Amino acid sequence: MSAKFPDWNNLAGFGEKVLDQALGHVGTLAGRMLEGNIRLGVTGLRRAGKTVFVTSLIDNLIRGGRLPFMDVVAGNRFLAARLRSSPDRSAPRFAYEKYLANLTSAPPHWPAATTGVAQLRMALRFVPVSSVRRSIQPISTLNLDVIDYPGEWLMDLPMLNQSFADWSSLTLELIEHQPRRQIGARWLHWLSTVSPDRRADESAAKEGAALYTDYLHACRRSQANLSLVQPGRFLEPGELAGAPVLTFCPLPLPATAAGRAGSLWELMSGRYEDYKTNVVRKFFLEHFARLDRQIVLVDVLGMLNAGPAALHDMRMALTACLEAFRHGRGGWLSRLTGGQIDKVLFAATKADHIAASQHGNLKNLLDMLVSEARNAIRFEGATVETMALAAVKCTETVTTEHQGRKLACIQGTPLGRQRPTVLFPGSIPDGPDLFPEDVTQPYRFLDFEPPAGVGRDGRGLPNIRLDQALNFLLGDHLA
Amino acid sequence: MSDRSHHQPPAWQAPVELEPDREGAGPGEVPPEDDQDDAGSGDEHGFDGLSLRQWSWTLPTFLGGIAALILVTLAFDASDLLSRAFAAGDVLGIAVAALVALVVLTALKLALDELVAVRRLRRIDRFRIEAERLVAGGGHGAAGSFAERLSRFYRDRTDLAPGIEALHASVTDAHNDREIITLIDRQVLAPIDQSAYNAVLRASRDTALATALSPSAALDVVIVLWRNLKLVREVASAYGARPGQFGSWRLMRRMLANLAVAGVAEGLSHVAVDALGGSIAAAISTKLGQGMVNGLLTARIGVASMVLCRPIAFSADNRPTLRRIRSELLSVPKQIL
Repeated sequence: MSAKFPDWNNLAGFGEKVLDQALGHVGTLAGRMLEGNIRLGVTGLRRAGKTVFVTSLIDNLIRGGRLPFMDVVAGNRFLAARLRSSPDRSAPRFAYEKYLANLTSAPPHWPAATTGVAQLRMALRFVPVSSVRRSIQPISTLNLDVIDYPGEWLMDLPMLNQSFADWSSLTLELIEHQPRRQIGARWLHWLSTVSPDRRADESAAKEGAALYTDYLHACRRSQANLSLVQPGRFLEPGELAGAPVLTFCPLPLPATAAGRAGSLWELMSGRYEDYKTNVVRKFFLEHFARLDRQIVLVDVLGMLNAGPAALHDMRMALTACLEAFRHGRGGWLSRLTGGQIDKVLFAATKADHIAASQHGNLKNLLDMLVSEARNAIRFEGATVETMALAAVKCTETVTTEHQGRKLACIQGTPLGRQRPTVLFPGSIPDGPDLFPEDVTQPYRFLDFEPPAGVGRDGRGLPNIRLDQALNFLLGDHLA
Repeated sequence: MSDRSHHQPPAWQAPVELEPDREGAGPGEVPPEDDQDDAGSGDEHGFDGLSLRQWSWTLPTFLGGIAALILVTLAFDASDLLSRAFAAGDVLGIAVAALVALVVLTALKLALDELVAVRRLRRIDRFRIEAERLVAGGGHGAAGSFAERLSRFYRDRTDLAPGIEALHASVTDAHNDREIITLIDRQVLAPIDQSAYNAVLRASRDTALATALSPSAALDVVIVLWRNLKLVREVASAYGARPGQFGSWRLMRRMLANLAVAGVAEGLSHVAVDALGGSIAAAISTKLGQGMVNGLLTARIGVASMVLCRPIAFSADNRPTLRRIRSELLSVPKQIL
């Protein structure tokens, strides 16, 4: 008896059947509506590799061929991923296609430094693990929002919690030490000629800001590769280039506590507050609000190249930025944004610049560098992990004989060269003694060109531990 | 990191750039120091610390002596038989000689098969020990040859070929030993785990049903013994151990001896609780209860043999549990009543 003609003796059974079908439809509908959302903050100082990381992440999720450590892929539950239009129409879209074309063109080259904020949403389709969930929702969807922005802007974060006087005195204290003292000599000279109490005048403010901006640029370019450079918009103004809100610089405390009315101090302090409210706060409210997961990319190798001063500076910068996040409950940024980050991954990027046998030591070094921030985050109740990864793997690990010793080296084409070379870039010690006294340049981690024909096999960009990072960050939402 | 001794130079080595061609850069793997793959050495029981009994030398000598005596007796008898048969007539003699040759040859073949089986089992033990060492060491470069040897071990298995292929595709020179072992675990062994677990499920249901329905206790014992032996063989051959008749007895004995130690058995009280607490029907009918207990014991034996036959030890998150088997067994009374 077909369902169209009810069996009059078995009305209950017929009703059950109809109800079953109806419930099935409702289930499918509900399943479509019940899509998970997750916002991943890709955080990192300048040149930590955020853009390349995001590009590789998207490419690997779309192609899905190089993610064996993602549980959802290993369990054959991952169906597909595709790009979607972002619900936030105001922010520019992350130019994934352009960056991928950069990496895969012949000859390949790295994407240019990011100058503005961009975001992208992608939808991941998968089969849930739990049979209960599967019966409601045979196929689940997770929307992943990823945000990319210039790393310089991250350094604005600590300023949110500082007054102009606090910030000025901290910055002036910093510049007392080498190598900043020498880099900032011209601005310091200017500073010695002006008094914060003098009458405000636009040309003086402009001159000071310009000299200060030069100093920041010089810090960034310098041998020491300094990270703690504030404010970030002075370096990457984005849409604010030339705006008056960017014409201020730190000043020594005036004789009177608040500064006289109409003084230079008052002018700069007003602009500083303006900058905080209208630029920094706005940016973080718009883009860092409701972050669920965070990955902090750290270019440890670049800092080792640049020496102890750079490493120390980066450590200070990281601690200052992460202070603001105060993951879990109770951090001031989360009070501001209502965000609650429950998983944080610290990743030492560009792990392909060293031999694979050194990854363990690199991870240990990162552990050591972020230990304070990590403990604070753990205390707040979020899970923290560290990892050594490479978003795009450009080298192969090889062993060679050199002067009778076996060395674990890397083979690849260094940036700006044509031919591949074999390089022993120095080994990261398994302890705190990073810079031996008697050696002038213990490390020489070269940057490499993306390998020719990368990603042509259609399995996604080759990477190191991207899958493990994604599994840590997204795994529980893909279960 | 324990791999420092391999890779990190003992003294400071300044950064240096080398000519790729001149230095003859090889693949990033340091050749394994001990490729004792087929070197049939090693202890009799394979897994140290798990064996309960320490045999003294007297008993093996005694048993060996008896076996030798029996062999000699048999040889004498056979030659006696042959000479008598030839005395009675050539045709009869040739027939008897052919029979004797057949028996000897098949006996040799059996012994050879058992030997091969025992060796495969030992190889699995060695794989497991090496995998454990690699995971604990967390070094780099040694797991490549492990993966190579393991895929050679499974080269006849067409059902595992896709997994092995996927493994080769996903392992890169950047993975450390621990990661490679995890990948092998997931891509090659996970499908075996699945089929072995299904075999355990089937066997425990079979024994539960059969003991519940069988009229006599003696029959129970026979059924349980036979089904368990069959299960052990199924599981072992799923993992590529391929034991012979004698081998599966050995395996079974070894497994029973290690049941408590291998971390599978949570104590017999659990069995009772599972059986009694799980279902009212079990409390009502002793026969049903016995069926459940036998089913659970079979499941335990099956899971123990999975643990013992796996080339890489189970980790905390993929260790087979009795949960599904329990729920399956609880439906047995309903199937009968």
